[in-house]
Amino acid sequence: MTTTATIARGAGRVSPLSRQARKGYLRYLLPGAVGFLAVVFVPFLMNIGISFTNWSGVGSPTFVGLENYRRLMRDHFFWSAFEHSIWFIVAMAIVPTVLGLFLAAVLFDYIEPRFGQRVSSVLRAGFYLPQVLPVAVAGVVWGWILNPYGAINAALQQLGIDDPPNWLGDSRWALPSVMLVLVWMQLGYGLVIFMAGMARIDPQYHEAAELDGASWFARFRHVTVPHLRPEVFVVLLTTAIAALKVFGPVYVLTKGGPGNATNVPSYYSYSNFFGSLQVGYGAAVATILTLVVIAMAIVFIRIQSKNEGV
Amino acid sequence: MFRRIRRGRTLALALGAASVLALAACGGGSGASASGKTFTVWWYEDAGNPQDAAWQDALKDFKAAHPNVKVHFERKVWQQIQDAGAMILNSKDAPDLLEYNKGNATAGAVSSKGLLTDLTSEASSQGWDKIAGSALTVGTYNSKGLMGPGKLYGIPSYGEYVSFAYNEDMFAKYGVKVPTTMDELDAAFAKFKSEGITPLAESAADYPAQHLLWGLALSYADHGWLNGYFGLKAPLDTSSDSPLTKAAETIADWTAKGYIDKKSSGMKPEDAWSLFRSGKAPITYAGTWMAGDFRDNIKSFKWGQFLMPGSGINPGSGGNIWVVPTKADNKDLAYDFIGLTLDKKRQDLMANAGGVALHADPADVSDPTGKMVNQTFSQLVSSDGLGLYGDWPVPNFYQVIQSNTQTLVAGRQTPDEFMKQLKTAYDQVQSTVGG
Repeated sequence: MTTTATIARGAGRVSPLSRQARKGYLRYLLPGAVGFLAVVFVPFLMNIGISFTNWSGVGSPTFVGLENYRRLMRDHFFWSAFEHSIWFIVAMAIVPTVLGLFLAAVLFDYIEPRFGQRVSSVLRAGFYLPQVLPVAVAGVVWGWILNPYGAINAALQQLGIDDPPNWLGDSRWALPSVMLVLVWMQLGYGLVIFMAGMARIDPQYHEAAELDGASWFARFRHVTVPHLRPEVFVVLLTTAIAALKVFGPVYVLTKGGPGNATNVPSYYSYSNFFGSLQVGYGAAVATILTLVVIAMAIVFIRIQSKNEGV
Repeated sequence: MFRRIRRGRTLALALGAASVLALAACGGGSGASASGKTFTVWWYEDAGNPQDAAWQDALKDFKAAHPNVKVHFERKVWQQIQDAGAMILNSKDAPDLLEYNKGNATAGAVSSKGLLTDLTSEASSQGWDKIAGSALTVGTYNSKGLMGPGKLYGIPSYGEYVSFAYNEDMFAKYGVKVPTTMDELDAAFAKFKSEGITPLAESAADYPAQHLLWGLALSYADHGWLNGYFGLKAPLDTSSDSPLTKAAETIADWTAKGYIDKKSSGMKPEDAWSLFRSGKAPITYAGTWMAGDFRDNIKSFKWGQFLMPGSGINPGSGGNIWVVPTKADNKDLAYDFIGLTLDKKRQDLMANAGGVALHADPADVSDPTGKMVNQTFSQLVSSDGLGLYGDWPVPNFYQVIQSNTQTLVAGRQTPDEFMKQLKTAYDQVQSTVGG
């Protein structure tokens, strides 16, 4: 990795392309740049503009300066929504990465050599399926499963638990229940990337370790995991950002409730936009959320660069 | 205020709701054509319910009366209009006529922004004001968008109220009489509970529990309190004398005694209706939009209705309203269609389908369910007994009340904490537009 990275950076400093040739390539960036401007950059600037106003979504906005941001600082709903985001990072980034790494290694090192590639592929596809299912459909089905009289509680009652939890209806259980659904949704994403990464690792390392008497877990820890570091960073970064932005599962499963037990910043922004018609305030929530995501992305990429030893 | 969710429609509702943003982004993709010869109308009544049956019939006659007009009907979802209504009305793709959610937070808000056509003079020249009578309240808003004396922006063509539905066979079997006081209601609940039956089928993961809260609040309220509450005259009263506090305490009490299952906090409306339909629970608290469903699907026992015992005011109002967007291309056609939904043929048809019509002729209503609900509604109208819905004063109050009623029923919140949450949301708006 170190070598590759060095070459890539070297190429950036001393370009083999002439200035003229580089200009020629610029035109190919144009469609992407226009798309970025139209879909991301300009709406983001507009959102920042709206966040300085008091506006119901129709009619004329009134400029209020930093008032919305001042209100945000003392709004405990907003801060509790961010606290829930931290739990959702656990459910969407940390647990699926750790579990995905382990399961990918089991599929790659154990299932595939013993049961063949077909079995391993079917299992991998099974883990990935929740990523393909539309979140509205998966959410409705989970809503049925987690209903007080749904499948999970019916099974628990069969096992002798007379009063099983009220998963989505009790504020004590709602957050862990939504987290469980998110783990189920995200697991396949990291797993597929890690399996692709494992195929890239030179088998010699594993063979050498095996000859030295390393157990499977020792090889997993000292060979597989260090080699998969780039993949782990990519998965952690993208899933952590997805966790901060999570909206669909919360909308379908709980609408932020009971009370505010599962409220998250993006749902809070949405409910201010469309529910309370406080569009300026909703825009301020969205702006802060975007800044947090950008800051997190920068930190992650810095750490990744450092780890690549450059 | 309310939502109608019928069996098998939950998925469609969720999918429809999830597409709200997409709908908002593309404006629905089907507005009135520039030629002015396409009449576009939207409503969100479930296919085959009494309103839908009557309006489909009106659409047939409308087509016959306007052979040169292309008619484009789209069925929407209540939640779509709740979430994206303002943006739809503000876009060039607004239809000529649509069913809109009544209330300050919805129709009121968009009327105050000039997005709805003032129908005051049209209503009096066409005689709609006489047909709809006091039900017109739900379409009348002042310049701040608050319901009450002002201009007429929406025309209801049906009515609704919320009451207890009960299983007559189970009442007879356990020797329980239809309660006429709150004490008798408590005794009826206690009797069923002592027989090992949870008496009240409830859903707190959606709107039914907040209807019960409001029904109870109305039983402790008078019109003076109601006018103050809806007119945002003062910050929300959270004292122990406040009707809302008493209602929250009653729900907490009923949950503690097991009259309402704590698990109701995880249950959707359909879960509660199905407990009642299957005869597992003898009582539920349901709006008249469920009457047709109960009539069609309850075959194994006799069922009836009773209002909140001893209460002169009950949740209910004119139904959701026809509005004509300011940007509509064919307003005259929209007026023609509104007229058809209010005529005798459609009103009788709605009542005979089990719906609450605004002025059905009692002599022409033969359906027993239709007779029952139309008689009760007439009584409520003539006694000034329609108490509207508790979430109307403030935008997003619907969601605030719902999620906190859910927490209250789950036993994770005291009535005091419950009232504090409501007060925060209510007072924030009251301090800016009320007083």
